[in-house]
Amino acid sequence: MRERNFMRLLRFLRTGFAVVLLPTLLLPLGGCWDRLEIEKRAVVLGIAVDSATAKEAGDDNKVTHLGRELPKVETHKLRITAQIAIPGRIPLGPGEGGSGGGKPKPVWVVSAYGHTIDDAMMVLQQKLSDRIFLGHLRVIVVAEDVARAGMSNINDYFRRNPQVRRLAWMIVAKDEAASLMAANPELKRVPALYILAMMDHAVEMGKYPDEFVGKFWSKRSSKGRDPHLPYVQMEAGETFSLKGMALFDGDRMVDYTDPLQIGVFMAMTNIQSGGYSVYTPRENLMYRATYRSAKTRLKIENGHPHFRIDIQVEGNIEEKPNESYDLETAAQLAALEKRLGAAAQKGALALIALTQEANADIFGFGELVRAKKPAFWNREIRTKDNWHRMYKKSTFEVNYVIKIRRVGMKAE
Amino acid sequence: MNRPATVTTLQAAALVAGSIIGVGVLPLPRVATLAADTGGPLVTGVAVLAAWLALWLITKLGTLFPQQSIFQYSEILLGRWLAAIGTLLLICFFAFLASLAAREFGEVVVTAVLRKTPLEMTVLAMLLLAAIAARNDVRTFSYIHMFYLPFILAPGILIIALSLKNAVSLNLLPLWGNDATALSVTHGILTIASLFQVAFVVTIVIPHMKQPQKALKASSWGVVIAGGLYVAIVLATIAVFGSEETRLLIWPTLELAKTTSLPANILERLDAAFLAIWVTAVFTTLLSTYYLTIHAISQLFRLKDHRLLTYFVLPFIFWMAMLPQSVLQLYQIVELVGRIGLCITFGYPIILLLVWLLRRRGVSSS
Amino acid sequence: MSNDTPKGSGQSSASAELPPSLPPDELLKRRERLEGSLEQSIEWFKQLLLPDTDFVIRHFDIYGRFPAALFYISSMTKQAAIHNDLLKPLMYMPDHLKDAEIRLDGLETFILRKTLYFSDIRTSEEYQTLTESIMRGYALLLVDGLNRGIMINTRDIDKRAVEQPPTEQVIQGPREGFIESMSTNLALMRYRLATPDFRTHIRQLGRLTKTPVAICYIEGVVDMALVDEVKTRLSKIDVDGILDSGFVEQYIEDSHLSPFPQIQNTEKPDKAVAQMLEGRVVIIVEGSPFGLIIPSVFSQFYQTTEDYATRFLQGSFVRIARVVALVFSLIFPSLYVAIISFNPELIPTEFAVAVAGGRAGVPFPSLVEVLIIEISMEVLREATIRLPQQVGGALSIVGVLVVGQAAVSAGFSSPITVVVIALTTIGSFATPAYNAAFALRMLRFPLIIISGMFGLYGLMIGLILIGNHLLSLKSFGVPYLTPAVPLDMQGLKDLLIRGPLWWMRRRPAFLHPRDSTRVARQSAEDMTSPGNDVLENNSPSGQGG
Repeated sequence: MRERNFMRLLRFLRTGFAVVLLPTLLLPLGGCWDRLEIEKRAVVLGIAVDSATAKEAGDDNKVTHLGRELPKVETHKLRITAQIAIPGRIPLGPGEGGSGGGKPKPVWVVSAYGHTIDDAMMVLQQKLSDRIFLGHLRVIVVAEDVARAGMSNINDYFRRNPQVRRLAWMIVAKDEAASLMAANPELKRVPALYILAMMDHAVEMGKYPDEFVGKFWSKRSSKGRDPHLPYVQMEAGETFSLKGMALFDGDRMVDYTDPLQIGVFMAMTNIQSGGYSVYTPRENLMYRATYRSAKTRLKIENGHPHFRIDIQVEGNIEEKPNESYDLETAAQLAALEKRLGAAAQKGALALIALTQEANADIFGFGELVRAKKPAFWNREIRTKDNWHRMYKKSTFEVNYVIKIRRVGMKAE
Repeated sequence: MNRPATVTTLQAAALVAGSIIGVGVLPLPRVATLAADTGGPLVTGVAVLAAWLALWLITKLGTLFPQQSIFQYSEILLGRWLAAIGTLLLICFFAFLASLAAREFGEVVVTAVLRKTPLEMTVLAMLLLAAIAARNDVRTFSYIHMFYLPFILAPGILIIALSLKNAVSLNLLPLWGNDATALSVTHGILTIASLFQVAFVVTIVIPHMKQPQKALKASSWGVVIAGGLYVAIVLATIAVFGSEETRLLIWPTLELAKTTSLPANILERLDAAFLAIWVTAVFTTLLSTYYLTIHAISQLFRLKDHRLLTYFVLPFIFWMAMLPQSVLQLYQIVELVGRIGLCITFGYPIILLLVWLLRRRGVSSS
Repeated sequence: MSNDTPKGSGQSSASAELPPSLPPDELLKRRERLEGSLEQSIEWFKQLLLPDTDFVIRHFDIYGRFPAALFYISSMTKQAAIHNDLLKPLMYMPDHLKDAEIRLDGLETFILRKTLYFSDIRTSEEYQTLTESIMRGYALLLVDGLNRGIMINTRDIDKRAVEQPPTEQVIQGPREGFIESMSTNLALMRYRLATPDFRTHIRQLGRLTKTPVAICYIEGVVDMALVDEVKTRLSKIDVDGILDSGFVEQYIEDSHLSPFPQIQNTEKPDKAVAQMLEGRVVIIVEGSPFGLIIPSVFSQFYQTTEDYATRFLQGSFVRIARVVALVFSLIFPSLYVAIISFNPELIPTEFAVAVAGGRAGVPFPSLVEVLIIEISMEVLREATIRLPQQVGGALSIVGVLVVGQAAVSAGFSSPITVVVIALTTIGSFATPAYNAAFALRMLRFPLIIISGMFGLYGLMIGLILIGNHLLSLKSFGVPYLTPAVPLDMQGLKDLLIRGPLWWMRRRPAFLHPRDSTRVARQSAEDMTSPGNDVLENNSPSGQGG
C-alpha cells in the first residue's frame, strides 16, 4: 500500500512536471527572442542596386569594418535603395481610391552605400529604427552597369539570406535602378508591387517567361545554360517598359535583346502561351501569336552539336489597315503564313547568333547536350567554358511554321 | 512489458515509415546530387533498395523470435555478457542518433525561421517532446506513428505536386549522371541508406505485433512509403533546380518549399509552414530513436518500467546534441555516425543470424 | 400538521430502552428489526424523525379492531391517495368481505391481497428498509402485533414536463429530452426500445442521498465485460452525495486530469438509445436530465443525432463543416499570432502590408492583444449564459458590436484581431458537445502562448503535445481517437462523413458487440439494386377490382 502511494506520488510529480513546470520554465526563458510584430519590421518590398559614383565612394561608413583596410577582392562600391512599406499609410481593405495627389506616399525610399550588399544593408539598418525584414522582398532591380560588372555579390547575399524569396523578381534597369524605386505609378498603391504586377502580368500575357530569381540562380549554376533577366527602362518618371532580355555570361551581363526577341525566345524554348504581335511592313498588318510549341532535336555532326528546332506558332490576324490587301481564301492565308515563317526563321537564327556572339546560351542547348549525349559531353565539354566554346561552333537549323487560324470579327 | 499483442501490420508499417522519414529529407537531394549529379534519384533508389535488404534481414531475424525483442534474443544467442556489449553499442549509437537528429533540426530551425532563438531551446523542445511521448507503452507508440504519418506524407506530396510547375525534365537526364564515379556513388548510397537506420525500431515492435510473421510485409511497406517519398523529393528537387544548383543549397528540400506557393496565393511561400509541419516528422523519428534507446537500457539493466529512464537519459542526449561546433562539422559527424551505425545496425543482426544458423545446424546434427 | 400524539404517555417500556436524543445512525444500530409492539415502533420512529415537521404519524384502527399507525412524510406523498385509497379501505371493511373472519396472523395477507389496491407494495421487518422507504415517499403501515411493516408507494413529487433539450437542439429528429425524474427517463428510452433485451440495473449511490443510478444496455449487443467494468467502477464510489450524473462521470472516467471528456452526456433519449444500439452502456441518474454514454471516443463529440436523421449528403456536409470549425476554433488565434509576429513572409504581400497598417497604432504585441480579446470574449460568453434569457441575447450583440468597434477605434486592438477572435468564437459554437468544445476552448490559451514564444514551430509542438495526449487517452479501454487510430474501416464510414445508413452494415468493432450485424446483408444489397418504377408505366393496373 505504501509502495502504491509512493508510485502515485511519483506519477503526480511527473504529471506536475509536464503540466506545470514545463510552461513555467519556458515562460520566463521564452523572452520571445524572435517575436517581432509585423508593424515593427521595416518591410522591404523592393531593392535597387546601383554602382556608387566616385564622389560617394569617398566616404566610408565604417559600419561593418574598421580602419582603412579595403577588401582584397576587387569590388565596386554599391548603392542600394530600398523601398520600405510604411504601416498605416496603406489603408486596410479596398478603401476609397483616387483621392489624387493629396494622399501621402505609402512607402519610404532610403538608400545606403557599401562594398557589398550586406555592408550596404548594415549601413541602411544603421539609419532605420525598425529591423529590416526581407521576407516580402518582391523585386530586386539591378542597374545595368552593376550587372555588367558581375552579379556574384548580389546573388550570394540574396541566396544566403533565408528570408528572401526565390519567387521574387530580379530585373536589370537600363539606367539608374533607384529611379524604379522612386517611381510613383498610379495603378497600384505600392510602387514595388506595381513592378511585381507588371512582371506577373507579362508572364500571364505571354510576354515574358516566368523567370523568377530562383530560376536565374538555377540557370546560373547549370553548366549548359546561361541565365537571362528582364531588361527594363524607366519612362518619364512614372512607369517603365520592358525593353528585352538581359543576357548573361555566367555572372556578367553581356548583351541585351529587343522586346520582340523575347517572343522568339519563348517560342524556341517551348513556352506555349503566346503574347507578342508582329507587324509585317510589306502587307501592313498585325499578326498575334496565341500558341507556340517547339521541339529541339540534337545530333552530333563532325565533333560539334547540330540542333534542329521545329517551331510551330498559331495565331490570328489582329489588324489590317490596308484595304487593298485581300485575305479571303485559305490559299492567301497560306501564302502569308509562309512569308511570316520565313521572316520568323531569320529572326530566330539572328537571336541564336546574338547569343553565340555573347557567350550566353540562354536556350539551354548545352543542357540538351549534357542530358541527351552524356558521353559526348563528358568527353568534349564538362565545364561551362568549354560549352561556350562549343556553342560558338554549334550549327542550327530552324523550321518556323506559322499558322493563321482566325481573322477576327471582320471578314476579308 | 508483457502486454497483449496489439500492434497491427498496418501500424507497424506506419511505424517504420514514420521512423525513417525525418530531418534527413532536408539535405537529402544535396547528398544525392553530390553522389551522382543527375543520377541522384537513381542513387537514392539504390540506397532504398540496400536499406530494404538490411531491414529485411533484421526483420527476418525478428520473426525467428516472435516473442522477443533483439535485446532479449541476442542474450539467448550470444550469452548474457556478449549480448550486453552489443546492446550497449546499440544504445550508444541510437542515443547519438537521437541527439544528432534533434541538433540537425535545431540548426535548420535556427537558420531558417527562429534566427535569434538559442539553439539550445529548439533542441531541448524537440527532445522534451520526444521524452514525454516516450513514456507511453508500445501501443500508444504505434498509434502515434500511425496518426502522424498522413501529416508527414501530405506536405511532402503537396510540395512535390506544386513544384511540378517549375520542373524541367531535362534536369533529370542522363539518369545515371554525368560525373558519377564509383567512389562518390558508394559514398552517396551509404549516406542515404544510413537515413533508414531508425527502422531498426521494428525489432522491438515485433514481439508486440498481432501477427509477427507479417513483420516482413510491414517493414517492406514502411520502406516503400518512406523510400518512395525520398526518391520523389530528390526527383522533384533536381527537376526544379537542376543538379548543379541543388549542390549549392544546404537544405534543398526547404528551398523547394520556398519556391512553391499555394494556388491563389493563400500562402506565398511554404518554407516556414513546411518546416513547422516537418516538426511532426522529426518528432516521430526522434521518438523512435529515443524509445529504442531507453527500451534497450531498461532491457540491459532489467528494469521493469522504462518511464523513469526517459528524463534520466535526456541530459545526456542533450549534451551530445550540443557537441558539434558548427553546421558543417555537424554534417561531417552525421555522416561518420551514419557509417558506424550501418556497421552496427547491419553487422550485429548478421552476426546474430550466423550464430543462429550455426546453432541450429548444431542442434539438427546432434 | 396533524401530528397525532399517541394515546396516553405510558410507553415507558420503549423509551426506557432508548436514551433520548440519539443520532439516527446510533438508533439504526440499536434496533434492527420490528418487534411487534406498535408503541415501541412509534417511539422509535418519533425519535428518529419527529424533528421533521412534515413527518406524520397517523393512528387508527384497522376495521375498528386492530390498532395501527401510518407513517409518512406529507410533503412527498399524495394526500388524496392516503385519504381515499389507504385510510378509507382500511377503516371500512368493504361489503363483500364483511363476513370474512380476520385474525391477526392473517391480517397482513388480507390487507395485501384483498384490501389495498396499490400496485407497489412491499413488506419488510428491518428498520433500515422501512426508514428508507419513508424517506422515499412511501407510506408505512404498522399494525400492533405484526412483525412486518407494509410500505405503500404514495410518492408524489412534482416534475417538469418533457421538453426540447436546450443543449442539443435539432432541426430534424425527435425533440424529447430527458427530465430529472429517472422513471420518466427510463420510460422515454423504453418506449423506443421495445425489446426484452433492454436491461436496466438500478443501484443506489451516495451514503446520504441514496441516489438511484440505472445502468442501461442492450443484452446481446453490448460486451458484458463492459457492463461488469461499469458496475465495478460504480461500486467503488463511496461518497455522501450524488446530485447529478456529472458526479458519477467524474468518478468513473479514466483520466481525471485530461481536458477532454471521456464520457459523453446527452439529454436526448433517442441518442441514448442509438448509442446503446451500437453496444454502449448508458447511465441514468435520478435527479439529472443528463444520461452518460460509456465509452465515448472523440468523434462522438462532433456527431449529432441529426446527422443520422438527415440524408447522407446533408449529414456528411454538415459534419465536415463542423470538423473544420472545430480545428479552426482550436488553432486559428495561435496561427494568427505565429504568422503576424514570426512569419509574416507567408501571407500575401498586399495583405501583410495592410495588416501592418491595421496594427500600426496598437501598443501591445499581438500575443497580448489576442489574449486580452480572447479573455474578454470568454467573460462575455460566460456572462450571457448567466444572464436572464431576455437580456442575454441583446447583451451579446451589444457586447460584440460595441465593444469590438470601440476597441478598434480606441487603438486597443487591430480590426483583424477582432475578426479572428470573432470567427474563432463562432467556430467553437459549432461543436455540438459543450464539454468537448470547452476542452478546445481551454487549450487555445496555451497554444496562443506557445505560438507567441516560438511561432509556427511552437504551435506545432503544442499541437503534437495535444495529439500525443489524445492518442494516449482511453475510455474504458477504447483508444480515444478510434476509429481513426487504430484504424477501423467500418468506423471510418462514420468519422468525417456520415456514410449512407445501409452502407454501415456492422456495429463499430471497437465496442466488441456480441452481435455485430446492424443492417441485414440482404437489405444492404437491396439498397444498391434499382427500385421498381411502379408509377412509370401508365397502364391502369389497379383498376382490375
